[in-house]
Formats: sequence, C-alpha cells, structure tokens
Amino acid sequence: MASVCIGNLVRNSAKVFRNSYITQVRTPYGLQIRCWNSTTPEPSSKPLTSVPASDTIKHEGSGNQLIKVSKAMKAYQEKAQALDALMFEKTTEYEIGRRHLANMMGEDPETFTDEDIDTAIEYLFPSGLFEPRARPLMKHPTEVFARKKVAEFDETGRPFHVLFYTGLPNYYQVLHDLSEKVRELDSFSDRMMQYNIHKDPERTLNVGGTEWVKKEQLEDILLEKLKDKQYEFFVRSMNRLLDHPFSYRVEEFIMKFRKHVQISVIHKEIPKLMFTAEGTPYMAAVGRRKTSTASVTVYGRGSGKISINGEDLLYFKYIQDREQVLFPLQFSGLLGKVDVVADVDGGGFSGQSGAIRYAISMAVRSFVDEQMMEKMRLAGLLTRDPRRHERKKPGWKGARAKYTWKKR
Amino acid sequence: MRLPQPVNNTVPGPAMPFSPTTTLNMATLGKKLFILSVRMGRGLWHRGIVSSSNPVQSAVEPLEKLQESSSDAITEQMAKSLKYPDFFKVAELFTVEDLFNARVHLGHREGSLNDHMSQFIFGSRLSHLIFDLDQTATLLREALNFTAHIAFRGGIILFVGRIPQHQVMIENTAKECGEYAHTRYWQGGVLTNSTIQFGSVIRLPDLIIFLHTMNNVIYEHTAIRDAAKMLIPTVGIVDTNCNPNLITYPVPGNDDSAASISLFCNLFKAAILRGKEKRKELLGVH
Repeated sequence: MASVCIGNLVRNSAKVFRNSYITQVRTPYGLQIRCWNSTTPEPSSKPLTSVPASDTIKHEGSGNQLIKVSKAMKAYQEKAQALDALMFEKTTEYEIGRRHLANMMGEDPETFTDEDIDTAIEYLFPSGLFEPRARPLMKHPTEVFARKKVAEFDETGRPFHVLFYTGLPNYYQVLHDLSEKVRELDSFSDRMMQYNIHKDPERTLNVGGTEWVKKEQLEDILLEKLKDKQYEFFVRSMNRLLDHPFSYRVEEFIMKFRKHVQISVIHKEIPKLMFTAEGTPYMAAVGRRKTSTASVTVYGRGSGKISINGEDLLYFKYIQDREQVLFPLQFSGLLGKVDVVADVDGGGFSGQSGAIRYAISMAVRSFVDEQMMEKMRLAGLLTRDPRRHERKKPGWKGARAKYTWKKR
Repeated sequence: MRLPQPVNNTVPGPAMPFSPTTTLNMATLGKKLFILSVRMGRGLWHRGIVSSSNPVQSAVEPLEKLQESSSDAITEQMAKSLKYPDFFKVAELFTVEDLFNARVHLGHREGSLNDHMSQFIFGSRLSHLIFDLDQTATLLREALNFTAHIAFRGGIILFVGRIPQHQVMIENTAKECGEYAHTRYWQGGVLTNSTIQFGSVIRLPDLIIFLHTMNNVIYEHTAIRDAAKMLIPTVGIVDTNCNPNLITYPVPGNDDSAASISLFCNLFKAAILRGKEKRKELLGVH
C-alpha cells in the first residue's frame, strides 16, 4: 500500500508541485495487491483503486471493516486452515481408536500408553512382513504427518515473526536468544567480579552423557531446513555459551539442544568390587591385544605399585609401552592410589602393553563413577582393539602392498 | 553552522519546513541548488516532497477522531495527514546536541571519503571527517517523518544492518516497535524473487531502514539496489565511506559507534510508535 503511494509520489511529484499542495494520491485502506506481487506490472497513471475486481475478495476483517485480500493470500489461508482441520480430525480419530483398542484388549483406556498400542496392534494384526516400517502402525498424527509451520502472516499480510524476512526466523531467533544469554552471563560475571567470585566449582553445568543435537534433529526442532555451515555456526555459538563459567544459569536453554547419548551396554555389566581377607577392595580383569593375553588385578587403597610378571614397570624397555600401561590410571586419576599386579603372556612388547592397558581399564571401571566411565569410553580405553596381523597374499608384497606396477 | 532557507515557496529546492527563520546565505543556497540539480538526475529530488507540501497553512483544521470506520472516511483522514509538514512532531524527538553527544558527527578518515558524501561534510579535524549536523538534523527529521507516515498507514518496516556488534540491538528495536528486522546474511531473492524464496506470495516491506548501508566487508548491502528495483523506499544512515545514491532518505551520520546506532534505533522506534499511536487514535485500527 504505502510503497505504491511512494511510487506514485515519485512519478506525479512534478504534477504535485505545479498544481496544488495536496498530493494526488489516494490511499484506500487495505489495498495491498500491487505491493505484494513483484511480477504484476506497474499501474499506469490511473488512480490506485483501479485493481481488477477479480483479483480481490472482500471479506470481513476484525472491526467490521471490509478488507480486500488477494486470491493468493486467500488460498494460503485456506491451506493453513485445511491443515489445521485435518490435524484436528485425525487426532480425534486417533483418540477414539485408542480407547476402542484399550477396550478390546481389556485395559483401562485412561492409562493406555503408546507402547501398549504398539503391542496391541502387533497382537491384533500379526504381520509376516520383513520391513518393520511396512507393518501396520498406529501412531499419533503429529508423528505420522510431518510437522509444518503454521500460517506465517495474518490476513493483512503482516508476518507474525520479527525475523520473518530472513527466511529462517526460528533459527535466527535461537541465535538471537543465544547472544542475549551470553550478554546476560557476561554482565553477571562482571557483577560477580566485584565480589571476587570467578567461578563456582560446585555449580558447574553437567553435560556428561549428552551431546549437541544433530543437524537433522535441529531441523526437526526448528521446522526449518539448514545448511551445514549454519548448523556448524550454531554448534560453535552454543559451545561458546557452554564454555562460559556461569553457564549453569542458562541450563534450561542449553539442554533444549542437547540430546542424551545412548550409554553403551557395558556399564550395566560392571562387576562389583571384591574384597580381600584384609578388606582391601580389588578387581580382576583379562585383556587381550594381538596375540597377547594379560590378566590383571587392581587393588584399591594402594600406593601406585605396578608389577608385571613379577617385575617392575621397567619390564617394558620402551617408554611408549610404559605409558600405555599407566594411561588408564592417569586418565581416571588413580595413578598413586591403586596397586596393579599383572601377568602377561604371548606376543611382543607392544601387544603385551596394549593387553595390560585394556585389562587395567576394565578393572578400573569398578572403582570409578559413571561420568568418568563415560569419559573413559570416549577416550577409547574400553574398546578392545580388534586388529590382528593380516596375512600376506601371493603376488602381493605384503598384506596390502602390491609390487611396483609397470605400465609396459 | 549556517541554516539555509528557500527564497520562495515555488522553488523546488531543499524546502526546510523545520528550520527557524534566519537570513539566507545566498552562496550556500546557490551551492545547494547546484548540488540539487546534479542530484535530480539521481532521483533524490523527490525527497523534498513531503517536506515541501508547501505553504504551511496557519490554520489547518485538526483531524477529528474517526466516528465510523468506513473506507472512505479512512482515506480522507490519511489524505489530510499529508497536509501537515510535521504531523507526528518528529522534530521534538531530538536536538542537534543529542546528535553530537551520541557522536553522530564523527566520520572516517579523509582517504575513505565517498565523493557523493562530500556535500554532507562540515570539515575535517586531524584528517578525521566531521559531518555537518545541521544537514543531518534536517535529513533525519525528514526520514523520521516519512517513517512515521508509513507506520501510520500500516506499512511493513524492515530494519537492516549487517554489523554483528549491533545485530541484537537492531533486532530488539524492531521487536519493540512491532516491525521486522533482517541483520543476517541476505539471500539474493528476498525482495526480487520473494515468491520462490518464501514459497508463497508474501507482502514485501513498505519501507527499509538501513542502520548500516555497507555489508560486512567493503560492499554495499544488496538490499539497497533491490529495494530500488522493487520501488521500496529506503531510509539509510550513510557514513563517509558509503554511497547515498540509491537511498530515498539518506541520513548522513556515524554508523560505527554503538552510541550513535543506539540513538538512531531509538529515534526510529519512537517515530514508528508515534505513527502507530495516531493510527489507533484516528483510524481506529489495531
């Protein structure tokens, strides 16, 4: 509306100057067609009200004013309304179906959960199909129909979101909130500095066992398609917020974008500590690497003594092997606090040191809490190195290496 | 600083309805007319229209509050609002001293001066350029007046600025006055290919306010050219290294200090809110 007025002002200003001080522009309220659609041709010197009637639909707006709305806008609104109606219809159907199912199965309809539905469907409609996604399914409509954005602008064409014109309002809103939170935390830390409080070690945000949502998951949360660079920028920015010493104050915001990592099955099978006659806790474990086997006992309440096949740590001539043995203890902070007795056989020094390392890691699990165990898992200490010697093949120089290839 | 004034009302000159009556400096006027004639070709001449809705009538009847909201009455009210040179009294929003205190007069170094900006420069001090705040004030009043009129008519106003330090401030300003902001990477088709870009026919902004006319690097913001293509009027804070050519209402001033950007944000916000207030009061809408 206004932009066309200006367009006319630009064109007719000479006329304005010469004729009178009242501008020739008429600005009927609600006229919006020409401004929206960039492909419509510019109106000639006719006044603005000359919009083809077929393009406009009059309908009652708020306040009993007739608002002229373009067909395109009307179509958009109808689509949004149709989607809402569909979702409502499907949801009611689903709820009714859920209650019927509960009655059929003889369960209480009020406490019939999604898992119960799945078991009921599997029982009532047994399927021999191999692909799970091809089998009969009964899920809530929001899970079946892809979530779409609701109408983004009202009947006058004004968008609802401040950042609508960026194309990714939800994504940029998150970044905006992030900036605001960083500023909040900075000003808070400035205030704390007056009292000489730099960081409270007690109140640190614990994000153990969680990681940032993946790109697809973020797209699902925001309902917007993102580029890889935009996702990476998001993660870098969130890390900056997370690294702030007072990030615990914005835990809720951060946790919205962190997903719990599936903790591996190992931790369920951690054996409990055993006790010797004297009462010292100990744990025994077996570890293998290449062709070496090590059986190790880790005694608690120790002073850091290490015995390998009756000898000192100097059993290993090379520093790397000694470091391999010490690494799990150093990582878990038990270096001077436990004693280790190891018997190792088979293989060479590298294999033997790797086997002892794995065995110590497995034993140390019982001494250490869940968070540290997770860290050890992430450090690769709890992974049995499956690599074995690969045989040489005939016609090849080694296991993979080929002889020099001659073109002719 | 000198305060020029048009000789008579029919001259299509830089009509200054807001300046107090002082004697005219002929040389300055002559210079200004020459500059204007050069600028006419650039399309900046229409700038003077709103302010030169000429002889300020001494007794213009005040607009009555709308009794019944009928389309014709609204049209009439809107047309009447254009009779006034400063309908929303935006001249009250700031003084030249406020501009000075917000460091609006500080430009970049002489070497980076854009030739088109030399008309707005008062001089330089130790090779740092200083804006003529009287010109800035006049142009700013015109810009604020225009903004308020757009808001009065329910236009969509888009704040644009690409400097990261001020992004949050600009977005907050837009939120507080109920308008829109775009301080992120500008995708090419936002204005010129909007149907494809947004997936449906949308309403484009009716005014774009640039708090920074330059991109993150040395280039002009794409939206300036695109808005000109789409006949969307623009208001822009132009620094000494910026090109004011395609901007409808350039406001020469500092765009690098947080203080000056904050002042401009607050002024535009106030103008928009005034326009909306009058809209509610006189037109009975939203």
